[in-house]
Amino acid sequence: MRIVVAEDQALMREGLVLLLEQDGAEVVGRAADAPDLLRKVGAHRPDLVVADIRMPPRNADDGLQAALRIRAEHPETAVLLLSQHVQRSYAAELVEQGTVGVGYLLKHRVADVASFLADVHRVAAGGCVLDPEVVATMMARPRRDDLLDQLTPRQLEVLSLMAEGRSNGAIAEQLTLTTKAVGRHVTHIYETLCLEPADEDHRRVLAVVRYLSR
Amino acid sequence: MRLRPGGAVLAPAIVGMAVALTAFAGLEAVLLAEGPYEPLWALLLFPAYGLLYVGAGLLAWTRRPSNRMGAVIVAGGFVWMVAGLLNTGIPALIAVGLIVSTVPLAIAVHLLHAFPSGRLRGRASRLTVLGGYFVAVVLQAPVYLVGQGAEGPNTVLQIANRHDLAHVGQWAQSIAGAAVMVATAAILFVRLRRAEPARRRVLAPLDAYGILAVLFVPIASIAVQNWFPEDGLELAVAQLTVMAGLPVAFVAAMLRGGFARTEEVQELGALLNAEEGRPALRAALRQVLGDDSLDLLFRIAAPPRWVDRDGVEVELSGRSSERSVSEVRIGGRLVGAIVYDATLIADDELVAEAARVTALALDNERLTVELLASREHLRVSRARLVEATDAERRRIARDLHDGLQTRLVLLAMEAGRAAAGDQTAAALSGGLQEAIVELRELVQGVVPAALTERGLYAAAVDLTDRMPIPVELDLEPLPGELPVGVETAGYFVVSEAFSNVVKHARAGELRLSISRPDGSLRIEVVDDGVGGAHLGGGLRGLADRIDALSGRLTVESPPGGGTRILAEVPCG
Repeated sequence: MRIVVAEDQALMREGLVLLLEQDGAEVVGRAADAPDLLRKVGAHRPDLVVADIRMPPRNADDGLQAALRIRAEHPETAVLLLSQHVQRSYAAELVEQGTVGVGYLLKHRVADVASFLADVHRVAAGGCVLDPEVVATMMARPRRDDLLDQLTPRQLEVLSLMAEGRSNGAIAEQLTLTTKAVGRHVTHIYETLCLEPADEDHRRVLAVVRYLSR
Repeated sequence: MRLRPGGAVLAPAIVGMAVALTAFAGLEAVLLAEGPYEPLWALLLFPAYGLLYVGAGLLAWTRRPSNRMGAVIVAGGFVWMVAGLLNTGIPALIAVGLIVSTVPLAIAVHLLHAFPSGRLRGRASRLTVLGGYFVAVVLQAPVYLVGQGAEGPNTVLQIANRHDLAHVGQWAQSIAGAAVMVATAAILFVRLRRAEPARRRVLAPLDAYGILAVLFVPIASIAVQNWFPEDGLELAVAQLTVMAGLPVAFVAAMLRGGFARTEEVQELGALLNAEEGRPALRAALRQVLGDDSLDLLFRIAAPPRWVDRDGVEVELSGRSSERSVSEVRIGGRLVGAIVYDATLIADDELVAEAARVTALALDNERLTVELLASREHLRVSRARLVEATDAERRRIARDLHDGLQTRLVLLAMEAGRAAAGDQTAAALSGGLQEAIVELRELVQGVVPAALTERGLYAAAVDLTDRMPIPVELDLEPLPGELPVGVETAGYFVVSEAFSNVVKHARAGELRLSISRPDGSLRIEVVDDGVGGAHLGGGLRGLADRIDALSGRLTVESPPGGGTRILAEVPCG
């Protein structure tokens, strides 16, 4: 796996590089700001970009803007964004542009090495990963006509994991259910929330996030 | 800024001139008494009238330091005395007297042209006055070089006794002198026609007197020589007296404020003393001086600086070809300045006069302005304080985020790797991750990430996302960026209002509107909760912050009637 790492803090950048290289990935480029990231992606055509959202030159959402451009110009490159603070609107913007090979995680998830590397692999493989905190924020948003009230706690758990980008198998494993049981919950959720059924996991994320961001 | 000769500098010079010229007059009186000519009283008219000129000139100089009339008149007095030396009987002094004997006429012409400011205006005036001096000095030469003969006073300058040549020279001088007078009369006539009625009333008699005086003196001399030799003494006395009246008339007109716009300056006094409908000082000055660009600046003592009417500090730019400055003083204390259009108001003295008339009124207004200025000073320093606090917050947040947090994340990574099969390391890793979460929340509280990354709206939406009750959002699109201070204040309004709603309001519904009326920022948070909120605690600090930005925070919260928090902050 060929990766470009973009992060303006040298310490954090080198930590990430070390982590990814120890996992067997090849870090083909290191960038310290958004324009540098775009240049290196253009030059190396990596499989994956791991980028901080806040980066120079504006020190605002430069990393997110760069990611959206990369998704548009190089669809074969997956993007995993890291951020100090997760926002529903960023997640919504990101998945709205395409749910294949995108991820959005809190930066400190890196500390949980095993789970972070698993997420890296899922995104690189074309999956969609959203931070549990973003999903929790979405789920907790009060709504006027709250269809979520009609779901059981178990079904809400399943819905959260769907939004995070988990497959039925992964959800079953995490909640110690059978895949079949998860399938039933998913069908019920679709019907309750009036969502179009989607076969692929990443399209399912889009549908759920759209619903949750209404 | 043009420095005007102040009283302290001027007074010794005036006294010195007065003493020197008086001594000169005394010396001349003695020389005349010793001399061969009679009657002495008539001869003494030269030093006496000379002193009259000097006195009038020095008076004008003292009272109107920026006006040059005084200086010209004093010079005239000196020339008078020198001309009087003609009658001393001492050859060298006779020669000197003879050389300057017609210069007083040229000076009279000079005064006519230079009145009222003392400066010659226009090329025609300058040329005519120059012509006058030429006639008086250069065309006088034949008189002492080849003229006079046995009957007149002998001079050491005489190179030949050619009565015929002297006669021609005298005629040439008379004709050239007449030309100067015709030009003077024409220029003054044009000036009179252009002048406003008030000014014309003062100028017309003065001009008429001056022209007649200058014409009368040479004509009388010719008349005496040719037709009335026996009336020589009476006519000479008449000539001298007519000439001596000139400085008196000019100085009187000048000091009466008789030139220019006396009436207007008086009107200024009347305007400012009116009981009702009294216009602001600046408006009165603009109206009276006819310069709508005229402005007043005020001098504040501590720290010394110039401020405008709103108390805002300004730079007093120097005098330029277009803008002029007249300082206003009360007893030597600088209280303000009148800045005016030099092309509209040519006469500085007029503005200086207006400055004197309005000094007290201006000083009065200055007290109000001083209050405003100290308020403005306070506001600016408070705004700076808030700005500094914000900058410090951002610095702390950045340091925590870039330094401590990164290290913690890397440490947690290490611990996590070491944790495989090691309980202590696993606990350590877990503890580190908890510390990271706490630190992240702390940083978020100090400077919210959304505000830094996306601005106020994104940050408000992010806050809304985390509220436990539905929030109705009404966000007008933002035209352009907000100043950082305003944006930060706006964010804190929303977050403080939201946190109050969560803590106290027991509200079911909440509405947040952000709009930009007239370029300012308006934030309104309305809930349907229990009300009873007051401007204390967090809201108090917020109100102070907004006040420092010249904004306003209002809280309406009747018990049981919900709460409405409204913040309006100008963005200029």
